[in-house]
Amino acid sequence: MAKKVGIVGAAVTPFKGKWYQKTYYELAQMATREAVKDANISIKDVDAVFYGIYNDIFERACIPEHPLQGIIGMQNKFGIRISNGGATGAYTISAAHAYLAGERFKTALVLGVEKATDCFDFTSMSATPEVIKTIAWSGDCFFEQKIGWSASDSYAEIVLGYMDEYPGTLKPKVTAQISSLLSKQVRTNPYAQRQFDQVTPEEVMNSRYIVYPFKELEICVYSEGAAALILAEEETARAIARNSGKPIVWITGVGEANEHSYAGKNQKNMSHIVSDYLGSHRAYEMAGIKDPTKSIQIVELHDAFIQQLEISMAEFGLVPYETVDSLVEDGIMMPDGRLIVNPCGGLVYCGHAVGASNIMSAWSARNELIKRKMKTALVHGTGSTVAQYTACAILEHE
Amino acid sequence: MSEKKRKVIPDEFIPEVRSRVITLDNKDYLLQNDAMFTFYERSIGELSPFFLAIRDEKRILGCKCTKCGIVRVPPMVTHCPDCDFAPTQLVEMEQAGKMNTTPPITYFATSLFLDKAPFGRGRVILKGADTALSVMLYTTTGILVPGLIKKGTEVKVIFRDERVGQISDIFCVPTSELTPQQVAKKGLQESELNWEAPKEPEFPKPSKEDLAIYKQSLKEMQALASKMSQSKRARKAIEGWKRSIAVKTKAGEFAMFINNGDFRIEDKKLESPDFIIACEDPKTLLDGLMYKGAITDSVIMKKLWISKNLEFNTIFKLDRLARFLVMEQKEKKAAK
Repeated sequence: MAKKVGIVGAAVTPFKGKWYQKTYYELAQMATREAVKDANISIKDVDAVFYGIYNDIFERACIPEHPLQGIIGMQNKFGIRISNGGATGAYTISAAHAYLAGERFKTALVLGVEKATDCFDFTSMSATPEVIKTIAWSGDCFFEQKIGWSASDSYAEIVLGYMDEYPGTLKPKVTAQISSLLSKQVRTNPYAQRQFDQVTPEEVMNSRYIVYPFKELEICVYSEGAAALILAEEETARAIARNSGKPIVWITGVGEANEHSYAGKNQKNMSHIVSDYLGSHRAYEMAGIKDPTKSIQIVELHDAFIQQLEISMAEFGLVPYETVDSLVEDGIMMPDGRLIVNPCGGLVYCGHAVGASNIMSAWSARNELIKRKMKTALVHGTGSTVAQYTACAILEHE
Repeated sequence: MSEKKRKVIPDEFIPEVRSRVITLDNKDYLLQNDAMFTFYERSIGELSPFFLAIRDEKRILGCKCTKCGIVRVPPMVTHCPDCDFAPTQLVEMEQAGKMNTTPPITYFATSLFLDKAPFGRGRVILKGADTALSVMLYTTTGILVPGLIKKGTEVKVIFRDERVGQISDIFCVPTSELTPQQVAKKGLQESELNWEAPKEPEFPKPSKEDLAIYKQSLKEMQALASKMSQSKRARKAIEGWKRSIAVKTKAGEFAMFINNGDFRIEDKKLESPDFIIACEDPKTLLDGLMYKGAITDSVIMKKLWISKNLEFNTIFKLDRLARFLVMEQKEKKAAK
């Protein structure tokens, strides 16, 4: 029988469009310092570290985690890096969970960090074209990089495929309302990149196209920052919690799936995010959740794009595919609705510091479960071309 | 310029060796120009026949599983992973097919593709194939707009005149824009297409009312430009950028100047601007600058014409100017 694993400490640095004042060394240490402080333990009490860092080029180093081992005080201990595209953070949680459940370690640090906007395009004198170019090195290197593949256009393929299969869904008025809602929710997140950027649905609809069908205010923003969790197996978690006085939030389920990257017969279904369906349902099964619409109260999902947020919610089984817009139209995720979705503002408003993002989502889900005295949350990460990768975790407040 | 003569990293992308200091909260922080670069003489291995067929013979190859018969294009496997790795055989494909799903259109591209936007990229199932080939999509009729190419639209593979053995040697256009002979022809090249040349729009004579609207709009734009130049955040949108733009409307012509954070609008004609913006109604531009609708979208929807596609980049910066000014106003309000 695998060991039960819980979150006993968590922290994030502020997410910023650009951290001029700190390198990724200091950001990583900052999040680590705060996470061990939150758990009221010493870094010496931590057995292993799991790094979530997405892209070597962002950090301008291959194996960018190697200097961190000593910088965060984990020298001479186990350290492994996970890199799974946008789903890096969620996969890092999943990996740490497996090692603890398998009794390899009693405690682990899950540490995500990214320094994205040092990349700079000197032809347009702005960072964004170079940041998205850096991500575009993640496309298929034989068949897609040379023809303008980007993270946005590959996710747009899925969104348009979904709209082909379910015409009349993902209405611009609905996506605009979701974006506006998230911009209001972010107001209480002091670590967010866009804490004060509250927008109206009209502003969202009036914002410019970046990649059709995505408008500027429907897309996540690239950030720099770090996030950390302290995980522990059951007995150790209880001992830490007794000492810190903070409740344990258990990770009762994890689930992952990586799809095909090519489309067509026996390949990727371009009208769905099957990885989201499989990842979430595997996590439900492990957590013993039969009906997610009755069990899940908080969702911290990886909203790379607002339209994808809606599709992911349908894949999670939280809303029907054909009536996915009921998230807004029936108020499911609106204030006082059945579900609280991305109370931190999501990646669109809190920011997307890729390797750290899903760990930030777990930090937020834990805080919200404790603060609101709720029981169950779903944390999600998506990544790679055409939303190929997914990892999910179920968090439960005892 | 010929693809063959281009450098793998174009010179214009390479910054000088330089550093600068930025001061935040009375502390100095260093910024260094830098790069991570690696050159390759990359082996294309088992994929060589596919790329050589494109380069030298203007043919498209797929691979067919000898057991289940699935035809994959591109031929990414030598053995079928669905049939316990039964061998596959290369087969020649037709050069037209249907879009697997509605393709996205990139307006704001990565730094490597800024000069190619707007473009579509989607997946075409060529006749006889079971899987989809990822391709760039263009229209011969100007700027690619939503709705022009959809799921099921028939498209034709077009070969670049200069081919180097890369996937960018091919792209697709809708067959509805081609003659039946062109659709039937194998190895159709880009120079054989009838590309519509960009043409500056002509406007009707203005009425008295148009002239009054022009005057008022210009005044409002000048006032906005002045505010933008004073806004710390808005200035960031055009930091390091320099452009002089001639703006032609039905009722008059004026000039916009962007100069490293400064934004100025003057009631004058420019002899040799960097590019021209033409919009019949000056309110289209005014609304954009007032953050009441994106200027980018006005270009896409053909309400506003630009003389150089590459200047989409400047249009994005104008949109950001408007957004950043509004953001700064919101932040100031929130801080009160």
